[in-house]
Amino acid sequence: MANIRSNQHALLSPMARKMSEDQCRKLYWACLEILERTGVCLHEQAAVDLFEKAGAMVSDGNRVRIPAGMVEKALCTVPRKINFCDRNGNRAMQVGGHRSYFGTGSDCLHIIDHRTGQRRKAVLQDIVDGMTLCDALDHIDFVMCMFLPSDVPQEKLDRYEMEAMLNHTTKPIVYVTTEFSGCKDAVTMAGIVAGGEDQLRQRPFAACYINVTTGLRHNGEALQKLLYLSGRGLPFTYIPSAQGGVTAPMTIAGTMAVNNAGVLAGLVLSQLNNEGAPFIMPGWGGNMLDMKTTTQPYADPEKRGQAIDFAHFLGLPTFSLAGCSESKVMDQQASAEAALTLFTDALFGGNLVHDVGYLESGLSGSLPQLVICNEILSWLDAFMHPVDISDETLCLDLIDQVGPDGQYLDHPHTMEHFRERWYPGIFDRSNHASWQKKGAKSLGERATEKVDKILADHTPEPLAPDVAKAVHAVVEG
Amino acid sequence: MTQFANMTEAILAGDPDRVKQLAEEGISRGDDAGAVMGAMIRAMDIVGEKMEAEEMFIPEVLMSAKAMSAGTELLKPHLAEGGGGNKGTLVIGSVHGDLHDIGKNLVKMLMEGSGFSVVDLGTNVAPDAFLAAVKEHSASLVGMSALLTTTMPVMKEVVDALKDAGLRDQVKVLVGGAPVTDEYAEQIGADAYGADAGSAVRIAKSLV
Repeated sequence: MANIRSNQHALLSPMARKMSEDQCRKLYWACLEILERTGVCLHEQAAVDLFEKAGAMVSDGNRVRIPAGMVEKALCTVPRKINFCDRNGNRAMQVGGHRSYFGTGSDCLHIIDHRTGQRRKAVLQDIVDGMTLCDALDHIDFVMCMFLPSDVPQEKLDRYEMEAMLNHTTKPIVYVTTEFSGCKDAVTMAGIVAGGEDQLRQRPFAACYINVTTGLRHNGEALQKLLYLSGRGLPFTYIPSAQGGVTAPMTIAGTMAVNNAGVLAGLVLSQLNNEGAPFIMPGWGGNMLDMKTTTQPYADPEKRGQAIDFAHFLGLPTFSLAGCSESKVMDQQASAEAALTLFTDALFGGNLVHDVGYLESGLSGSLPQLVICNEILSWLDAFMHPVDISDETLCLDLIDQVGPDGQYLDHPHTMEHFRERWYPGIFDRSNHASWQKKGAKSLGERATEKVDKILADHTPEPLAPDVAKAVHAVVEG
Repeated sequence: MTQFANMTEAILAGDPDRVKQLAEEGISRGDDAGAVMGAMIRAMDIVGEKMEAEEMFIPEVLMSAKAMSAGTELLKPHLAEGGGGNKGTLVIGSVHGDLHDIGKNLVKMLMEGSGFSVVDLGTNVAPDAFLAAVKEHSASLVGMSALLTTTMPVMKEVVDALKDAGLRDQVKVLVGGAPVTDEYAEQIGADAYGADAGSAVRIAKSLV
């Protein structure tokens, strides 16, 4: 029988947008105007020289005004997606477009210890536990170190962080280093694991998170890292942190214009340094200072969505943030803020979404909170799936066969398909009596038990002993 | 004992053909039909436990119950009168005013799988119909289901009607449904409340 139909349309996922094409263009032109008219201050001579050589206007030593054409050109040469591998060189994440991957944050000063419930200074073992947990959690796609270890020599703490990540998970890594030298050491360590610098470039499994002072003022370390990594074709994020009302105008648009002017300055520099170098921009826009508490809110609703739209407009991969909370403890606020922020990022299509499991605006981390986020991500994974409306799934013959008085519970069709539906892991659906029988536990208690179980049962694949030794030599170096 | 281990496995896997095959093999080997039946019932006990522990999905439990029924059917001619199989007769229905029957159907299928004879009165069952069925089938159990708070009081009407007819001592009354609770069961003079199909079967077994 012919099965010809015309004008078929199907949606393969929910869709969300906050900014139109025209709004994105307006913002982009604003960034171009800032770069030409106001310019940026670059605290690294090599960067200033590269700009000057390419035709940018330099004044006052390091004030660089960038013509729009240079930005346009850079946008033509930068890759629109980056293929990340895992530690073993297997393809793991296609970062770009609307594909979302989720990972932890880095460098929390404190941990809410799940064994005692107490907030204390984090130590190296917390990173080991965190990475072991991430390695086991299905919906955590990449890792950052989660905690800042207070029990190692502080001048080398970023090396210890990198070593712990390399040793305790095979998942892709986003690393942060304090000084430029730490960045070089991290690349050396990743290179040892990959089997050489060429292999690392071909199959990157680690990206550097570069923080930049503000949109229009770029610190030396950030620029040095950018030049070093882009020169080697290694992935990095370039994240100026302009703050509305402090280092940028109070308005979301004004903050985004200043911040993204800085992003585009970094982009141009990366492409001047090495055409085709990968570049990742921020997926949140319009940071603010909370004018009551002076904290920088992570789960702020107003900074979400538009920057991802803007990145899609520019065609650049994003480093976004979600699964985080301002709450001091793993409570109802923590769950709500984690769920809402993860939900928006999944809907808009942020790419590398980090800070999953953060509490206290990035000052504390909690392993059970990460397990709760993993469950939320499992829910979202199911939610984002398309609905299959087809002859096969409508099963009209079956409906007619069973009739109005029949039932489907013990029908083979039910047996065949019931496993296709989503079931929760630690979200509880039991009736009250069975829930009580199981100990009447809250979500937090169940998440804590799961942390203990994973830490007792899961052993991440170790590095080969000689590789681990060579990595450690860099830490000692 | 291997054949019984296999039987447990076949019931848990919900494989009617395998259960029939094992039962046939047992009979032709000269095993006592009651012992084979006993093995199947023990396997269903495990199914019931797994269901209550949320380790098995309902369709899997129902497949196990179907496998059990297939085996029971095959063993029936070989079982001594009244031996092995029948645990008693349950009259079941969703009460008057209530057209919901998922829970009721689940309990029915599991009860059958556990060796009870079940008389299903369907939905929207009036107290008189419960009475008539109890008399006709000499039932030892009455199971009532209500999903609506507005139909719950009918459960009490049935209990009262059983009392008035002098039948209350002959039967155990089991109630269930989303709004029903232990306290409500006690309040209306029922014998027990089952929170889900798995526990309904366990409780029914303990009552007869």
